[in-house]
Amino acid sequence: MANYYDALLKLCGFEDEIKREKPRIDKAFRKLELGPEDMKRAERWVSENHDVELLGVRKLLRAWLLELFDLVLAKEEGKKVVYYGYPSIQGPGMAIKAASEEASKEVYVACPDTILCHTLGQIFNKLAPVLEAGEQNGLPPGHGLCSLQQIRNGGLAKGIIPVPDLVTSSSYYCDMGSKADELLHDRYGHRAIYVDGSMDSRWGEYPDYLPQRVDYLGAQLNKLFDTVNEVLGVEVTQEAWNRAISVSRQFFHAIGQLTRLMTADPMPISAVEVSLALQLGGASTGRAMTEGPEAVSILCGEVEKRVEAGIGVVEKGAPRVLNFSASFSDPSIMHMMENTGLAMSATLLSVPPPKAPYPTTYTTLGEIRAEGEMTIGMYHSSFSIAKRFEDAVKTLNIDGVIWSYLYNCRPSALLSHVVKKWVEETTGVPAISLEMDIYDSRNYSAAALRTRVEAFAEMLRARKATAKA
Amino acid sequence: MIVAGVDIGAATAKAVILDGDELLAFSIIPTGFSVARAAEAVTEDALAKSRLSMGNVEYIISTGYGRRAVRFSNKVLTEIICHAAGVSSVLPQAGTVIDIGGQDSKVIGLDGNGKVRDFVMNDKCAAGTGRFLEVMAGVLGVAISEAGALSLLSREPCSISSTCTVFAESEMVSLRAEGKSREDILAGIHKAMAHRIAIMGQSVGFRREVVFTGGVAKNVGMKKALEDEIGLEILVPEEPQIMGALGAAILAKAELVKMHQAS
Repeated sequence: MANYYDALLKLCGFEDEIKREKPRIDKAFRKLELGPEDMKRAERWVSENHDVELLGVRKLLRAWLLELFDLVLAKEEGKKVVYYGYPSIQGPGMAIKAASEEASKEVYVACPDTILCHTLGQIFNKLAPVLEAGEQNGLPPGHGLCSLQQIRNGGLAKGIIPVPDLVTSSSYYCDMGSKADELLHDRYGHRAIYVDGSMDSRWGEYPDYLPQRVDYLGAQLNKLFDTVNEVLGVEVTQEAWNRAISVSRQFFHAIGQLTRLMTADPMPISAVEVSLALQLGGASTGRAMTEGPEAVSILCGEVEKRVEAGIGVVEKGAPRVLNFSASFSDPSIMHMMENTGLAMSATLLSVPPPKAPYPTTYTTLGEIRAEGEMTIGMYHSSFSIAKRFEDAVKTLNIDGVIWSYLYNCRPSALLSHVVKKWVEETTGVPAISLEMDIYDSRNYSAAALRTRVEAFAEMLRARKATAKA
Repeated sequence: MIVAGVDIGAATAKAVILDGDELLAFSIIPTGFSVARAAEAVTEDALAKSRLSMGNVEYIISTGYGRRAVRFSNKVLTEIICHAAGVSSVLPQAGTVIDIGGQDSKVIGLDGNGKVRDFVMNDKCAAGTGRFLEVMAGVLGVAISEAGALSLLSREPCSISSTCTVFAESEMVSLRAEGKSREDILAGIHKAMAHRIAIMGQSVGFRREVVFTGGVAKNVGMKKALEDEIGLEILVPEEPQIMGALGAAILAKAELVKMHQAS
């Protein structure tokens, strides 16, 4: 007998496993309060906003849905649950997952709010009830904590995501997550470990760094690993870290190939699909590694064919934009930008960061990770981000930069002006700062942003035409 | 070579008819409920003034918030690009445009060739817009057309702490209860709004010559407040409201020339 969700799941790359996984799917959708009408709406939303003609895209959507099911059912399936925050220091989540597997412990490790964005938002277009639940449970709108925290809070308040056994909370880059985790700790009583760090860095220091910063962050990460051992009985070792690297290599290699293909002219696929792949690696330590590599590899093969055939989703010669504005939850915003004729092809990840020192002189896992974070991570300092934008613009021959910020997000609001000024002064390329919310588009819809993006596109086209003449 | 530019703003619809470089006529009407109807009406009115009909127009560019609702236009462009072209045509030395319309405000940096160098706009909230001034003038019982001149009579402008339309309205009531004069309150409103525009435009920078456009540019009090705030003299074109439509018409002419050259 057909299920009410068959058509959507097939659209999202599911095949035989619908029958096999039926009890899990039924249970997960029940918890998520997603019924037949939601499936119909999702079919339309996915068809309109994702390039489902491509098998790789369908497989990516499948990986996200499987991750959603794993998240929602983790506790019921007897797993310990660990959440980390976004933006996160790359690695600890993967290492905890790898160490758990080595110790044969069932542990689910992920960033739940970004999973809800990419599934309830990007697939079901039904994130608003979760945001509203977050607002009604201690994080009202306008109170200065970003909507990503409202989503996590709302997910817990509605009982659609399990209360975790441990939260690793980092104020290394942004202190909103750790502040929200204090509230959630008060509400739900779960254990939280706070990973402090120092973003303070002398302007112009990057890629150098003060050793004290590594010492401090390294000690914080070691404390995190000790707490993981205490709470989960899992020892996070260098071997576990190496294994995590090895497991993730295939996925991140494919991601690298995809970002390189996006430099083709015309841009072969929408940045929406690239973001689906990139963020899977940031949010998931499970399906990203088991389903992700195949999905991204298939997508790369399909994109390669489009590049060879000269097929694109924007016109050949369209202005190429370095994009820091991909919405996690609402793909229609990126499509609006691309519909103005911009090739939103590049991200900071399109240009590799400096290499970490090898061999390292540090000895503990925390210190080694902290050193890596200083050299290859996104969050060395505000200057490092400005510098990496400059490098990417120069390396990739970019025509413009779109930065997005939320008024109450301290790191991005400050950087919106710093990066714009820096990029324009060092490269001569125009940049625009768009006030928007990449997690919650209720107040920042595509229609509200259209005039500014269109004007920016017209400006870039005029500059290109003048340069050509 | 007859071309038209049609600028459908939130408050008013404007149309300009050009024959080559010569401005034949323009029209300004309230936008009203039907954006599409306003576009037709304002274009027909400008054409009637030019003693022409739609059949005579070879190319039309529409702009403004209602630009996509202009069914008869050949091309759609944003008002930012069109304002830059319009202002540069009448004041080629312009380096910056401050445009305050009915429901948004923007600062546009020009590159000296009629093109946009940079821009910033506030289109999310009524504060800093013509609508804000209208509401405040209404609260004070002053006709909007008189608000500017009246504010210049102020001896001690009030300090207005909020530029949110709703909260500022209640602030007005308090100031009136304190016995503050209309002149001082109006001057305070202009000062608060000018401060907001100046902060918004900082990232673009105010380069000479600074040109003030949009309906609010007719307000002499607002012009003075902006000059005080940015420390530069401000020029106002003879018809500041039609700069977007004029720019659209000029760009329409350029498109037509390009098409003729191509064929």
